[in-house]
Amino acid sequence: MKNPNVLVIGSGVAGMEASLLLAEAGREVHLIEKDSLIGGQTIKFEEVYPNMECATCMVAPRQQEILQKDTIRLHLLSEIKEVKGSAGDFTVTVKKRARYVNLVNCIGCGACYEPCPVSLPNLFEESLGEIKAVGVACPGALPNVPFIDPEHCLRFNGKKKDCQACQDACMFDAIDYTEQDQTLELKVGAILVATGFDMYDLNQLPQYGYGKIPNVLSAMEFERLFAANGPTQGEIKMKDGGTPNSIGIVHCAGRNECGYCSAVCCMYSTKFGYFLKHKFHDADVRSFHTDLCVPGKANQKFIQGAIDSGIRFIRFADISIEGKNGKSAIHCTRDDGGKETFEADMVILSPAMIPRKDTATLAEILGIHRDKLGFLASRAENLSPVETEKEGIFVTGCAEGPKDIPESIAQAQAAAGRILALLDESRSAVQNDQG
Amino acid sequence: MNEKIGVYVCECGPNIPDRIDIDKVLAEVSVIDGVKTAKKFGLLCSPDGKNFLEEDIKKEELTHAVIAACSPRDHEQTFMTVAVKAGLNPYLTQLVNIREQCAWIYSDKQEATRMAIKSIRAGISRVKHHLSLTKKELEMNPDVLVIGGGVAGVEACLSLAGTGRRIYLVEKAEELGGTVSKLGALIPHQGTAVDLFGEKIDRVRAQDDIEVITGHDVTSARGFLGNFEIEIEPQGDSSEIRNLQVGAVVIATGFGLLSSEHLDTNNGEKNPNIVSALEFESMLAQNAVVGKDGKPPRSVALIHCVGRAELGYCSKVCCLYMIKYAHHLKSMDASTKVTSFYTDLCLPDKSDQAYYDEAVKQGIRFLRSDAPSIQSAEGQVTVEYSTGGGKSASEKFDLVVLAPAMVPGEDTARLADMFNLPLDDTGFFKEIHMMLDPVATPIEGVFVTGCAMGPRNIPETITQSQAAAGKILGSLIPGRKLEPEVKVSEVRADFCTGCQTCLTVCFYAAISFDESRGISVVNEAICRGCGSCVGSCPSGAIRAKHFTYPQIYREVLEILS
Repeated sequence: MKNPNVLVIGSGVAGMEASLLLAEAGREVHLIEKDSLIGGQTIKFEEVYPNMECATCMVAPRQQEILQKDTIRLHLLSEIKEVKGSAGDFTVTVKKRARYVNLVNCIGCGACYEPCPVSLPNLFEESLGEIKAVGVACPGALPNVPFIDPEHCLRFNGKKKDCQACQDACMFDAIDYTEQDQTLELKVGAILVATGFDMYDLNQLPQYGYGKIPNVLSAMEFERLFAANGPTQGEIKMKDGGTPNSIGIVHCAGRNECGYCSAVCCMYSTKFGYFLKHKFHDADVRSFHTDLCVPGKANQKFIQGAIDSGIRFIRFADISIEGKNGKSAIHCTRDDGGKETFEADMVILSPAMIPRKDTATLAEILGIHRDKLGFLASRAENLSPVETEKEGIFVTGCAEGPKDIPESIAQAQAAAGRILALLDESRSAVQNDQG
Repeated sequence: MNEKIGVYVCECGPNIPDRIDIDKVLAEVSVIDGVKTAKKFGLLCSPDGKNFLEEDIKKEELTHAVIAACSPRDHEQTFMTVAVKAGLNPYLTQLVNIREQCAWIYSDKQEATRMAIKSIRAGISRVKHHLSLTKKELEMNPDVLVIGGGVAGVEACLSLAGTGRRIYLVEKAEELGGTVSKLGALIPHQGTAVDLFGEKIDRVRAQDDIEVITGHDVTSARGFLGNFEIEIEPQGDSSEIRNLQVGAVVIATGFGLLSSEHLDTNNGEKNPNIVSALEFESMLAQNAVVGKDGKPPRSVALIHCVGRAELGYCSKVCCLYMIKYAHHLKSMDASTKVTSFYTDLCLPDKSDQAYYDEAVKQGIRFLRSDAPSIQSAEGQVTVEYSTGGGKSASEKFDLVVLAPAMVPGEDTARLADMFNLPLDDTGFFKEIHMMLDPVATPIEGVFVTGCAMGPRNIPETITQSQAAAGKILGSLIPGRKLEPEVKVSEVRADFCTGCQTCLTVCFYAAISFDESRGISVVNEAICRGCGSCVGSCPSGAIRAKHFTYPQIYREVLEILS
């Protein structure tokens, strides 16, 4: 008998889409998420191109649906450790870390944060803001239930074993220090991987001065500055609290090193430009790019609109950034051979999208291959873009390579479709033989 | 008045009583006409709270319930479910948000309390006008019509096969295969189209539950999700109409290519040394890459982006297939001079850049030029191109290959009209939500995949067809009933003047005009209750169930009183 249930790894846009579609079809879904909240990278974006829609608002109804669907079993703070079996009959071992906050009792009032004596950099906010040892990543995070970070909580790291400030503050009996890490064994018929991507480490590119020159930001840092639910409530502020009058946006950071184009950076970099021009009409915004990658029917118009709004696009052959009196001097050799220097108050670097650092481990656990670039390999070359070498295991979204939101969603729907057909009892033996 | 309304105020722990004097609220609202009981509870959304609510609704034999608590986004559904369990129609309840809209925004307790009372009074006034609404169930036909027998359509069929439904594949040409069957080798791994795709076509033909109907056009379509009535007829023969009943439709009609005459300045007299990409594909497939003189070309110009500037979009796939041509030319004769004229290289897939780098290594010349022009005289072709800084150069080539922009397929507008589908400003079909639902259209049950929706490559096209199949397999399950939206619009026949304004604003094509009665009619199976028609109707003839004028006026009047 084939097990019709499905394990989905990752709760970003791809994982959520697949889970909802499978649940709608009546399947039980185990949704595994390593973080304490769902939504992946997309919920970090204030607006997305080309229609400048609020991504948080766009995704929130789906997050709510995930939380409310009885047939989606959400396993937060969880990672897969072992996979045995084959298509139709997998046994997956999942390690689930304790949250120490009861998801049912907690109403998300936030009364526990204030009394917590520990503050630490909030990684969700690219460390631009702080979080307590008990807290949620950002306003609007779902589930709206905090998580106690045992590494930093004084009670758990042994620095003050009797601290119970959060428990004292909670009026709903939701803080539970006795919760234990768990090991789950899940039986499923198919596995869908939607673990997303990482960003190239800009510290590896000394020519851009990232981490050395003030106000040289990564794209993700800027996304959070620009977000209304971010650390500055959407105020674009420099390190000294001032607002920038000149901003340089540098595309393709790490493209040469990685050996591929990340497909989405030209567009989101231009989105930053639009946003800055909208916010600071007189600001001098310049976009330094190589080849503009704007595929498809809607993207080029977005770039044209940006040019019309006064953003200057400069095609570079070579570029470096030098700190100069607290500003950034962007030295650019254009592709026509000309040279120019732009002194910018703020610089945004758009780094390459790279495989998540745990991809190798994940591939090993699943028994699937990675490609030469380190992403999970699909059978796209054989015209099966969401299938892997191993029957019953599917890969979608940026785990397979850089792609935009619609393409990730289409892949999730495609993989869900393949799974529904694969595990359909009425499907004849003939089809099952046809990879 | 014989309503028996129950008002329930949730404390939400300290969230509400910290800022709102709940006892005062209860005292004031309990005396309102029609209110039978007014009570508070610690946390109504907790299991205890839900039990209390259910039991109290039953015990008090309520006709309506008003719950003053948090945002409807959090718990409207929760309390509607409780109402159902208590035997109360869920639409006879009203959730009043006194947490986010009162407790959390006023620092002054008196002010917050005053606002909470007003909000609850408004909820009570509104709920008195609520209508008991009931979900309907309609049968759904699980069968699917796929229009277009190219790579997108074939993939959709195979993804749906063997799932307990009949699939009709209607293709207007006599053969399946679409544009892909005209291609030689595919990129980047150079397997041939016939090898990779031919096998899929054979499978479609062999499958019992797929009926392949070639040489036919779809000529008429009516209906909605689960219940479409389709007419097809043989090409050019309207005497043999055949009817198909299906539950969903996948449109996979592909793309066209911009006519390239505008670059061929030879006034219609075609120079054989200037070919389009598709012509070059067939030269490759026949192993006959030769010029007019029958000799292999010594120099070839590959011109990307033909028509891009005029159309305002990038066709995505041309850069890569032009690089493919360059590789082919070099492998046939490494001494052939190959020059690629491009505007921006579009290499969005992870393996594309390596393919390009390899081409550069093989000595293929890539020149950026915004608008190269072609002069053709006596078989000679000259390409004139800008070299930056206002300067230009010209060069002669034995063969010129043009990569024309992908444009909407010839049937796009006709099918859009037939299925009431919107087109976007480029003339391709328009997604219902470009970001979140890339293969769905505003017409539920009608999907568009592949290049009919816009330029895309083969793997993406396959993904999209599998995605459409996934959406169909997830919703159109044999034996499952359709449950249309309950809060829909309805036209009151007495007031409708037949102006048909509502037809023009309905995004979902849910309204039709009944010629015999001279009025507009809403199809409740299609309407999603957005209310656009209500606002647009000059005679006030349309009402949205659950958002009727009395409901809204009564609510607003109390807030303003």
